[in-house]
Amino acid sequence: MTSERQRLEALAERLRGVDPMMPSPAAKIRGWNLVSAAVQQSATVHSRRHSVKRLILAAVAAAVLLVAGAVAASADSLPDSALYPLKGVVEQARAAFAFTPADRLTYRLDLARTRLTEAEAMIARHRVDLAGEALNAMNDQLNAAAALVESEKGSDPALATDLENRLVQAIATHDRQLAGLQGQVTNPVAQNAISQARNRAAQTAQAAKAAGTSGNPNPNGKGQGSGPASPHPTPKP
Amino acid sequence: MRALGKAASDDDRPLIERVRRGDQDAARTLFERYFDRIYNYVYARLGRAEDAEDLAIDTMTRSLTRLDLFQDQGVAFSSWVYRIAHNATIDHYRRHGKVTLVPLDDATLPQSADPSDLALQQLSNEDLRRALRDLTDEQQQVLILRFFQDLTAAQVAGIMGKSVGAVQALQHRALGSLERSLQGRAAN
Repeated sequence: MTSERQRLEALAERLRGVDPMMPSPAAKIRGWNLVSAAVQQSATVHSRRHSVKRLILAAVAAAVLLVAGAVAASADSLPDSALYPLKGVVEQARAAFAFTPADRLTYRLDLARTRLTEAEAMIARHRVDLAGEALNAMNDQLNAAAALVESEKGSDPALATDLENRLVQAIATHDRQLAGLQGQVTNPVAQNAISQARNRAAQTAQAAKAAGTSGNPNPNGKGQGSGPASPHPTPKP
Repeated sequence: MRALGKAASDDDRPLIERVRRGDQDAARTLFERYFDRIYNYVYARLGRAEDAEDLAIDTMTRSLTRLDLFQDQGVAFSSWVYRIAHNATIDHYRRHGKVTLVPLDDATLPQSADPSDLALQQLSNEDLRRALRDLTDEQQQVLILRFFQDLTAAQVAGIMGKSVGAVQALQHRALGSLERSLQGRAAN
C-alpha cells in the first residue's frame, strides 16, 4: 500500500507524460490568417484614433496658449483696450484667493491703486470720461475697504485698527498722487473728476476713523455692506 | 513527447510594442509562440478539436488586438493570454453547457478500488483527459497549467490571481480528486 503522497506524485508524473494535443497545420494557417487580418484592422483603427487624439490635443494646447496669452496681455491693459474686460475677470477671480480680512483689504487697496494708475493714463490720453470712471471705481474700492474695516471692528478690534491704519495710509498716498495730477491737468472736467475723487476718498478716510464711535464707515453710500464693489469701471474702448 | 516550448515573459515586451505599431512580423512571432499552447490548454478543457481551434484563434485575436487593455493589467503577457483563454472557455461552457460543475470533493464517487491498484501507466492519455474534465473548473485549470503546460506554481498563481501557497493546495486537492475520478471510472 503506497502513501497518498507517493500516489499523487506518480499521478502528477503521469500527467506530465501526456502528449500535448497540437492543432492541425490547416488550423494554424486559418488561425494566423484571421489573427493577421484582425491585427491589421486594429492597427489602422488605432492609428486613426491617435491622429484624432493628436488633433484634439493640439487644438486644446492652442486654445490654452491663446487664453493664457490673452490673460497675460490683459494684466497691463487700460480702460480703452479691447482686453480690458478680461482684466476685470482676472481681478474678480483673484478675490476668491483672498481668505483673511487682511488679504481682502490688500486686494481692495491693490485694485484702488490700479484704478488710480488707469485714471492717470486716461487723462494723459485725453480720455476724461474713462478717467472719471476709473476714479469712481477707485472710490468704490476704498469704500469697500472701509466697509471691511467696519465689519471687523465687532469681532476683532485690534485687527480692525491695523486695517484702518493701512486704509487711511493708502488714502493719504492716493490723495498726494491725485493732488499732483490735479496740478498738471487743465481740462476742467478732469479737474472736477479729480476733485470729487479726492473729496470722496477723504470722506471715506474720515468715516473709517470715526466708525469706532459712529458705526458708519461710508457716508457716500457706495460699497457698503458685505457686497463687493466692482473692481474696475465699465470699459468703453 | 513534449513539444510545447516554455512560455515567454519579458522577451514578449518588445514584440508587443511592435504589434501595437501594426508590425505583422511581431504579431506572427507571438502567434507562433502561444497558439499551440493555447490550443493545448483549451483542448484539455473542452475535449473537442473544433471548439479548441475556434477558441484558440479567438484568444489570440483578442490578445493581439486589445493590447491597449493589456498595458493596464500589470501582469505578464503570457498570464494575460491564459486568462483570456480561460474566460473564453468559461463563455463556451455558458453557451453550450458544462458536463460537471459539482466539486469532486463533495461528490460521491465509488471508493471500491484500492488506490494503490490504480495502474497509471495503463491509462491512455485520453482516459486521463476525460477524467480531468470531471474536476471543477479551478482544479482542471491548475492541473492543466502545471502539468500539461509545464508552468511553475508562481506562473500559475499569476494567471489564476492566487498566491503560490493557494495554488499548491489547490493542486494537491485536484490530484486527489483526479485519483478518485480515475478510481470511479475503473470501478465502472
